[in-house]
Amino acid sequence: MRKFWIDTDTASDDAVAILMALRWPDVDVVGISTVSGNVPVEMCAVNARYTVELCGKDTPVYLGAAKPLLREASYAYFFHGPDGMGGMNYPAPRRPLAEGHAVQALIDAVRAHPGEITLVTLGPLTNVALALALAPDLAQKIPVCYVMGGAAATLGNVTPAAEFNIWVDPEAAKMVFHSGLRLVMVGWELCRGEANLSEADMAEVRGFGTVLADFSLDCNRQAIETNRTWLKDPALPLPDPVTMAVALDPSVSVRQSSHYVDVEILSEVTRGMTVVDERGVLNRAANVEVCWEIDIPKWKETLYRTLR
Amino acid sequence: MAKKVLIDTDPGIDDTMAILTAFNSPELEIVGLTTVFGNSVIENCTANALRLVELARRPDVPVASGAGRPMVVDAELIAAPVHGEDGMGNTHLPAPQGQPVGMSAAEFIVKTVLENPGEITLAPLGPLTNIALALMLEPKIAGLVKEVVLMGGAATVPGNISPVAEANIFHDAHAAERVFGADWPVVMVGLDVTTRVMMTPAFFDSIFKADTPYTRLLQKMLPVYQGFHHDFYGMNGSVHTHDPSTITYLLRPDFFQTEEWPVHVETSGRCAGFTIADRARQWGDRRPARVCVGVDAVAELGLLHERLTRY
Repeated sequence: MRKFWIDTDTASDDAVAILMALRWPDVDVVGISTVSGNVPVEMCAVNARYTVELCGKDTPVYLGAAKPLLREASYAYFFHGPDGMGGMNYPAPRRPLAEGHAVQALIDAVRAHPGEITLVTLGPLTNVALALALAPDLAQKIPVCYVMGGAAATLGNVTPAAEFNIWVDPEAAKMVFHSGLRLVMVGWELCRGEANLSEADMAEVRGFGTVLADFSLDCNRQAIETNRTWLKDPALPLPDPVTMAVALDPSVSVRQSSHYVDVEILSEVTRGMTVVDERGVLNRAANVEVCWEIDIPKWKETLYRTLR
Repeated sequence: MAKKVLIDTDPGIDDTMAILTAFNSPELEIVGLTTVFGNSVIENCTANALRLVELARRPDVPVASGAGRPMVVDAELIAAPVHGEDGMGNTHLPAPQGQPVGMSAAEFIVKTVLENPGEITLAPLGPLTNIALALMLEPKIAGLVKEVVLMGGAATVPGNISPVAEANIFHDAHAAERVFGADWPVVMVGLDVTTRVMMTPAFFDSIFKADTPYTRLLQKMLPVYQGFHHDFYGMNGSVHTHDPSTITYLLRPDFFQTEEWPVHVETSGRCAGFTIADRARQWGDRRPARVCVGVDAVAELGLLHERLTRY
């Protein structure tokens, strides 16, 4: 079994990504840390616990950073709904939060299983930056970290330059990007266009007739609407599940290359921009493996496998 | 009852003077030393902190090793010419016997503050990385710390590491901005006062006459520090009183004149590390720090003389 740790600002698409990992046959999710992002961290933890229970699991869910390192918190209710789950108002989870701070729990888990735990981040990188600052040895003890974040040489979403997760806590992202941790960056652009779940795709998912299939569509109902009106994209974008698909099956990523990537922290206009030195003009050592293209049918099949 | 003090430090020659002064002050209970990069690399700072608790015959005082680099940017400026290659004036002392505790400095700070609500005074003598990390790890500590009395900054005088920035703030300006921006009582003991208190060759000669293990260490360490102050400022053997002034404030706040000013820290560009006092409250309602702007230098030197010669 492969061990995974998921760091998440659990709202609708995070929930789908979490259930994919919980349902994947050869993956054991050893812990879930929550972080301020799409919604406040307490709400993230409620949504994560609900998702875990829906999958019939008892994975521990920890409460993490309540705000970015230096910036004020910013939320994305407009995209995910007032509860982060499309306004579905799911019942409260029964199991309590796991004890202890998410950052400490992540450090302890990695040190207990050095070289074994794959990290998947679905939100701002605040928790991960804190963990690496407190325990720099983690950079060598985590074999790989898949980051849902950034926009590689393309447009942003929350601003023309930046993707939400990196924009929310750019200093944390900069710390993580320069920490020596092996990173695979899955930018938000990879869930756009054809990678959206189209009307036909959603009809197919609905046809599975399972609780998890319905849940995956229902909790994203606000995201579908906002995506159409705000980003002029066709249907349902699922950035966190695309990232999880790459983590579960790296062959979903079909074009990937290593580059020096930095994060803009000084400018207001380009705050949180992920600047990829694609041509190597800075002549600096590569620190990020950038995923440029995914196998779209394979990504969708990876998702469907966990929903049927 | 003695004041419970947690010293966060990058020893450091003036840190050494400050820590020995603190251990020689019954008014203070030193609950731990946490270490940070700054005057030397973190490995040296932690070894030096362990040496100091052993020299002070207080090996029971826990030492927690902390940040080895600034939070966000890579400042590679380590103050080797100021404090020597080992951070202790090239004294190259034998390795300490003890070990740091098995948790990071930031965790140790959080744990200590939570276990002693309302009682802990934090005394940071180096870059503020550990303090900022502790705040991020557990924001509740802002309401539970008695006071943060820090050596750093320059509100009304020029900087030292740059024309505008004092070294501790400069070495992690992002962390400093977080600390000054938090809702807790901060006292800034900066260059505004520390450069007005000169420890002269006559002051040191008088201290060395005590001939204790403490004064013998100071005597060995000082030439590097005096050499820097002479080369940079032409001070002919005198040095500024940076970190010891923080301990002086803990003992005798009445020696200092202070102003209540919100302090902001510039985090980028060539003014990075500049501590800006917003005297007219033009930048919003940040909780003011208590900024030391004047000091009774004679009284401070008298107190330090008395404490540094005890054994």
